[in-house]
Amino acid sequence: MGETFKERLGNSLSGFNRFGIQISHGTIIAVAALVLILFIAVTIRLLPLRWENLTAGTSYLNEFDPYYQFSATKHMVDNGLLSPYYPTPWINAMKWYPVGLDMSSLLPALPMTATILYGVVSLFGNIDLMTFCAILPAFMAALSCLILYFIGKDMGGKAVGLSAALFLAIAPSFLQRSSLGFFDTEVPGVLGMVLFIFLFMRSMDSKRSLKASLIYSLGAGLSLAYFISGWGAAYYIIGLASLFVFVLVLLKRYSQRLLITYSITFGLALMIGTKVPYIGLNYLVSGAILPVAAVFLVLILAELMRNNITIKSKLTLVSASMVAVIGGFIGLWLTGSLSSLAGKFITVLNPFIRASSPLVDSVAEQRLSGWGNIYIELGIGILFFLVGLYFTLRNPTNRNIFLLLFATTSLYFATSMVRLLVIFAPAYAIIAAIGIFGTITPFVALLKGTSKNLVKAKRKMLRVSREYSGLAIIIIFVLIVSNLAFSPQSGGMPRAVSQAYTPTAISGGSLPVGGANLNANIPVWLDAVNWLQTNVESTDVVVMWWDYGNWLSDLGNVTSMADNTTVNGTQIANIGFIYMGNENQSLAMLSSYGQKNVKYIAVFTVLVVQQQSETVYNVYPAGYGDEGKWVWMARISGQDKQRFIDQGFISAADAWTNETAFGEQVSGGWQWNDRGLSSVVELLLNDAEVTYCYNLMANFEDVTFAPDLELEPSQYFKGIYYAGLYTSPFQYGGLVPLVAIYEIQWDLYNAAH
Amino acid sequence: MFPRVPDQHKVGRPLIPNGLGAFYVLFTTVYLFLVYFWQQSVNPEPISAAFTLAVCVLFGGFMGMMDDWIDLKWRYKAFMPLIAALPLIYYAQAIDARTSITLPLVGMVDFGIAYFYIIIPLIVMIVTNVVNQLGGLNGLESICPAIVIAGLMVFSPNYMLMVGPLLFWLILAVFNVSGKIFVGNTGSFTIGMTVASFAVISDLKVNLFISLLPFIFNSALILLSAFLIGKKASVTFDGKKLCANSRKSLVTIITYRRPLTERQVVLIISLIVGLFTLLGAFIRML
Repeated sequence: MGETFKERLGNSLSGFNRFGIQISHGTIIAVAALVLILFIAVTIRLLPLRWENLTAGTSYLNEFDPYYQFSATKHMVDNGLLSPYYPTPWINAMKWYPVGLDMSSLLPALPMTATILYGVVSLFGNIDLMTFCAILPAFMAALSCLILYFIGKDMGGKAVGLSAALFLAIAPSFLQRSSLGFFDTEVPGVLGMVLFIFLFMRSMDSKRSLKASLIYSLGAGLSLAYFISGWGAAYYIIGLASLFVFVLVLLKRYSQRLLITYSITFGLALMIGTKVPYIGLNYLVSGAILPVAAVFLVLILAELMRNNITIKSKLTLVSASMVAVIGGFIGLWLTGSLSSLAGKFITVLNPFIRASSPLVDSVAEQRLSGWGNIYIELGIGILFFLVGLYFTLRNPTNRNIFLLLFATTSLYFATSMVRLLVIFAPAYAIIAAIGIFGTITPFVALLKGTSKNLVKAKRKMLRVSREYSGLAIIIIFVLIVSNLAFSPQSGGMPRAVSQAYTPTAISGGSLPVGGANLNANIPVWLDAVNWLQTNVESTDVVVMWWDYGNWLSDLGNVTSMADNTTVNGTQIANIGFIYMGNENQSLAMLSSYGQKNVKYIAVFTVLVVQQQSETVYNVYPAGYGDEGKWVWMARISGQDKQRFIDQGFISAADAWTNETAFGEQVSGGWQWNDRGLSSVVELLLNDAEVTYCYNLMANFEDVTFAPDLELEPSQYFKGIYYAGLYTSPFQYGGLVPLVAIYEIQWDLYNAAH
Repeated sequence: MFPRVPDQHKVGRPLIPNGLGAFYVLFTTVYLFLVYFWQQSVNPEPISAAFTLAVCVLFGGFMGMMDDWIDLKWRYKAFMPLIAALPLIYYAQAIDARTSITLPLVGMVDFGIAYFYIIIPLIVMIVTNVVNQLGGLNGLESICPAIVIAGLMVFSPNYMLMVGPLLFWLILAVFNVSGKIFVGNTGSFTIGMTVASFAVISDLKVNLFISLLPFIFNSALILLSAFLIGKKASVTFDGKKLCANSRKSLVTIITYRRPLTERQVVLIISLIVGLFTLLGAFIRML
């Protein structure tokens, strides 16, 4: 009766001993820390839930691409796991009107994972599919952190594993792409990548039995197959693994086990991977995958050379192999098979190609990342990364060689494309952890006073006393804390924290807002899609710039003409033309898509309201909506200038090449010229702005809200719904988002033509 | 308590605790964090000078510690401060810092983007190393940088950042001069990093350059002697006074065939640094 809680706990734990289970204090602490890290990994990703519909328990997805994945997942849940691919490819008619979008070109790993897991979770109760898809990335990211813990543990012990898991859990690039609603390819991608690295490294471990090695190879093959069928960046890890094996051969570390592991892993992965419809057998002869075959040949050669054969035979073998490889490359090059590398991946290797491709460059996540991005990502942790590289280099075991190649190549690619920082994140996490513990371990050993050998081995350690070691550890601790908790490079708030204060794009009204002061979601876009759902037929086409295509089709339940998949550059150029041409040019183009279905056009604009005097407020475009994106509309449509002229949509004199045809940049901002003022995009944007101002003035007497410009109303586009019209001017720090939907007045247009 | 090393210029070479500069690192970091929190509560800024300086000081401390531990080779020591330039480059870009330097007689030289990517890293690398190289006598490595910092503080809009750290450093300097402690590599690297970072943050490049001329002269002599003659500067100690037979550093020039006590040498060099600091201030006021 008088037993205290502590005693009861002690008695309960000692019960383990009866079963022969011995748990050390170290293990308990490590497990507790790991659980805490995983808990942090999940919760920090789910914090944006505060802006979702908590009473209904539902959440939207973030950004735009995830809706594409969601569309396929929903189809799989409704029609079966293979339904987008088999028996016939599913053409989603609500996207990319009039052709539709071939959904069988979607990589299946993410929607299939979600479908299967949704099936399992549904056994326990009902959950909204979109909400499930929104929270799934957080759990998959936590799983990736768990696997990284094991990789780190294999490389440098539990402490390194724990730190690596923590660093990955809060790595800004990874966090951003796996937080609430980021239901996209990176999620299975990173999971597949770390799982592959973990299993592949273990399969090569010569200390393990051959049987274990075989099992790990099979696992590595399966995880690589998952990665291939989950994320296009699989090219990278395949290339990296081939390069790693090749380097091992060069370092004379070839072993039979290497050949077996390599063959099983890549054989299995490519066999499964090529079964994915979008990938197919052509994948095997793509430039990025061919090195796998070349390295396989090198391994076979190495195996043959290992045996006792004559010099003459060796020379013949080497010559024959070289002829085969060179001949094979020339043959593939001549037949054009080598050109199948996707443009995006070539631009990673050579970013300067991108300057000529506005469509690729207009996507922010594919932009070149400057050193600033790397510094914002790593902060002063870069110091530990470099120290870690030094320690890794000093001890070139097979694992460390892999780590070095992984870190240096992924850093190179990350500097080439912003979104690839997410590949670099796991490499950074492990190496920085090695750096920290490489630095701290001798001091800890000194502090404990148990390191006689160490003192002997490192004569300089004699100069350092126990007390000094304590100080050194504190300094390292402060350095880590400054980086993780205060993040000097991002104004004192670590991006891990600011990310948790950022709502999903649609719940944040596609505005750059967030933070603790944003108490509720910004319902502008939600109102717009709800209005479309209620008032517009699903077969009706709503024209909008491609960014919003998925929101229109997947949330608004209407047919869109373009979206983030950007599969049809010609159609995107046409949409650019529709917005940049004058009303007659634009309607001629719209008419070519069929007046029966194309009924609406919409713009998204963000206004700024600034007080000029007590009774006068100035209103002007902020630049976050189409008033900023029209530049890309002009540039992308400008690339197809000749086609528009040839097809008779515009005269050579009226055609444009880029935005400079529509005005010029002056000190106060953009100054439209006559052509710019008559462009459809400016007509609609200005109409939305003016409508908002008049609506405010109707509600606030004696106060003038003055638009920066007031154009004549459009002839053929009639505003039928303005989402955000009743937004208070200062509700979101002076920013006012508006989604304006216009009906196309075909009868008026036809009467005039 | 601390590791002890022999004081070369004392009779009997008594063992003196070394590496107390680590306390400066900790004190300065805590002080700058407090300044940062105070500033954020009064006037929040997207990027903070106090924080940037704190990070640079931590960098300096870390490097010094690594040096104390693994005795870094000079080629690593010379280039490691480049990493510490990152927060400064970022800060300078974020606040849209002036990219020009106004040189006396020459006028204004605008470096444009090269200021961020070449000049700032060079300032950090050179200053940290030259400050680290002027040492070896009790008080020399602590008093001279303190004079430079004091000179910079007079013109700096961010002088508050250095009030606490300078006072703390002066306390260490008092003990250092009296031969009771050494600041160690941790101290000398950190104070060098402090000087460089504070000057960049305060936009006092010319003051910094003129104040540091004695340091630069000293390092140039040491490097030239090492590369051209292949010999290092050394002084002999007869139990009372220091004397040098060659002129391969600032200390050996002063003591060349002119025996002086350690205190006298430190005083002379401190006066020289003080004069150049005043000269820097004078030129700035012109």
